[in-house]
Amino acid sequence: MSATTPVEKKSRRIDWGQLAVEGRALIALLLIVVIFSALSSNFLTPDNLIIMTRHVAMNAILAIGMLLVVLNGGIDLSVGSVVGLSGVIAGWLLEGWRIPFTDSVAYPPVWAVIIISLMVGAFFGWINGFVVTRWRVAPFVATLGMLFVARGFALLITDGQTFVNLRGEPELGNEGFLDIVFAAPLGIPMAVWMMVLVAVLASILLNRRPFGRWLYASGGNPQAAKLSGVPMKKVGTRIYLLSGLCAGLVGILLVADLKAATPRGGELYELNAIAAVVIGGASLAGGRGTVRGTIIGAFVIGFLVDGLILVGVSFFWQQVIKGAVIVLAVALDQWQQRLKESREAKQTQTQMLQSRQQTAHAVSEGRSTS
Amino acid sequence: MSGNRFGRMLAVTAAGTALALGLAACGGGSDDSASDSGAADETTAEETVAEEASASECESNTIAVITVDPANPYWKAEVDTAVAEAEALGYQTTVNAHGNDPDQQNQFIDAAISSGACAIILDPAGADESVGAVQKATDAGIPVFQVNAEIAEQGIAKAQIVSNNAQGAALGAEAWVECMGDNRDYVELFGNPTDNNAGIRSTSYHEVIDPLGFNMLQQEVANWDRQEGKQKMELMIQSQPDLQGVIAGNDEMALGAIEALRDAGKLEGTCVLGFDGNDDARDAVLAGEMVATVLQPIVNGTKLAVEQMHTYLTTGEAPAEEKQSIDCILITPENAGNLEGFTLS
Repeated sequence: MSATTPVEKKSRRIDWGQLAVEGRALIALLLIVVIFSALSSNFLTPDNLIIMTRHVAMNAILAIGMLLVVLNGGIDLSVGSVVGLSGVIAGWLLEGWRIPFTDSVAYPPVWAVIIISLMVGAFFGWINGFVVTRWRVAPFVATLGMLFVARGFALLITDGQTFVNLRGEPELGNEGFLDIVFAAPLGIPMAVWMMVLVAVLASILLNRRPFGRWLYASGGNPQAAKLSGVPMKKVGTRIYLLSGLCAGLVGILLVADLKAATPRGGELYELNAIAAVVIGGASLAGGRGTVRGTIIGAFVIGFLVDGLILVGVSFFWQQVIKGAVIVLAVALDQWQQRLKESREAKQTQTQMLQSRQQTAHAVSEGRSTS
Repeated sequence: MSGNRFGRMLAVTAAGTALALGLAACGGGSDDSASDSGAADETTAEETVAEEASASECESNTIAVITVDPANPYWKAEVDTAVAEAEALGYQTTVNAHGNDPDQQNQFIDAAISSGACAIILDPAGADESVGAVQKATDAGIPVFQVNAEIAEQGIAKAQIVSNNAQGAALGAEAWVECMGDNRDYVELFGNPTDNNAGIRSTSYHEVIDPLGFNMLQQEVANWDRQEGKQKMELMIQSQPDLQGVIAGNDEMALGAIEALRDAGKLEGTCVLGFDGNDDARDAVLAGEMVATVLQPIVNGTKLAVEQMHTYLTTGEAPAEEKQSIDCILITPENAGNLEGFTLS
């Protein structure tokens, strides 16, 4: 009892320093906001904040899906292509699906279009999970393959064209897709609402359900997790499915944003999602990362990129700065980890020392009393 | 735990090595066969010199079509035309897309050489970067007919049929200037900076616009892409609320800008200029959302290339002029109705 009190006190004392380090993504975000609002009077206007948050939202949704995979020690390189594919599916169904071998064309209602597109995303994600867990293909390789496969399907379906007739027609009963997906309830774009929804659901999944504990365990220490009965294959498959589902959602949002479904949609989005995840403090080795951090990471990337455009920095410098910020953020993260580890090591050391002293003390006391 | 990590790392490394070995093997294989068939083709080339008429006797009867990006309607039209024309003349075709990556282009050229293609219809990936690739194919006895873009050297390819981007951009800029009237403030969406045409079009726009006292508020790179064009435009509407016009290096970026302007309620009264003449842009021109676009006669240019290739393969006659420039056509609401799939009827 008396052994734990000084340690607790000590940890409370260093809390501030630790908070500063742990909240570095948030600090980076605040810095970005302060710097850019000083450089551009338009940065903090409500209109601009809404536009930038809408840009952030799509990446944040992908990043949350990516986080689930990263927590398991995996990676999903296919999300950008799956975004393109599910968007194309939505556009394809809205324009009318020519049923093969017949002359008829099917016009599914809007809710069916949305669900089918989401399911396509989830299905391609599930294939990733299956290949990774059952065929034991490294996640990097399996999802790299899917990156090409999904993009290929998007091209096959569209034949390289862009679908633009997404408004639907009343007599076909398929109008209103754009009204739903590009709506802005309470002045906030649908994409932002979706980001909030996905973040809340993912937080519940990670913090309140056994699945979350399994996931952190499976990524942090796979051997131990397996031995303690975590259903590794189930967890491993489901995270890719969820990542694909997130990509499907972004695909729909992207189509509504552009009011066109192009097979090139979502190109390179996977890289921004990974950047958001690592800036948010997740470890690519697995087992560490939070939804909150990932969202902040997405805001850091998004506000940085958009801020540079607002200020009018040249495109080439935009690339350089973005890359440097990603590396710096992760370098800081590593430094923090080392700090934490050495501190923990020290703590356990003192703890052990103290408890040893105490036992010695107790033993000697016991001796003296007896 | 560490054992498992190690195992995983080992697995990843092994997978990587296997992949690398596989690739190396592939590369070696195609290299070998490339030099083999290269030698074979050299002999046919010599025979060609000896008796010109026999040039048509190309065993594979296959034409390799190498383009940039079939997901873009412009290049899609190029590929479709090349394939349709070649097949109408009785050839078989293979189609590949290098995505403006000279390295990939090189691989496709190697593949064409090793499979003994009769001729290559090429939309090159970069003027300087593609010289070596075209030279390699020509050395292997395979005639190269270029469409859409040129390479830095002449005398290697049999034909270089390019649309006159500078002339087309000047046409577009003139129409846009007319739309602007007394307004002077505009922004520019620039194409992929590593693509020559992005620079050529921008320069020609500015040659027309700059002397007239226009004021460019901002220039952003949007990589020919609609989504990127929209995102960049949304931000420029914020940072430059006074903008009255947009010049874009291609239709896709212009269409993205139109969506951004529409969302911001600023489409009315803003002059947007596109380039390429794709069907979506045609609809935007007809709807009065886009001032004008510039039609690159890619379909006619590609047809011409295939015809010249056929003439060369059957009679051994190369086109009189290697560099052939086709003028672009301005698309305005007056003639937009006649535009379909990059052909003006």
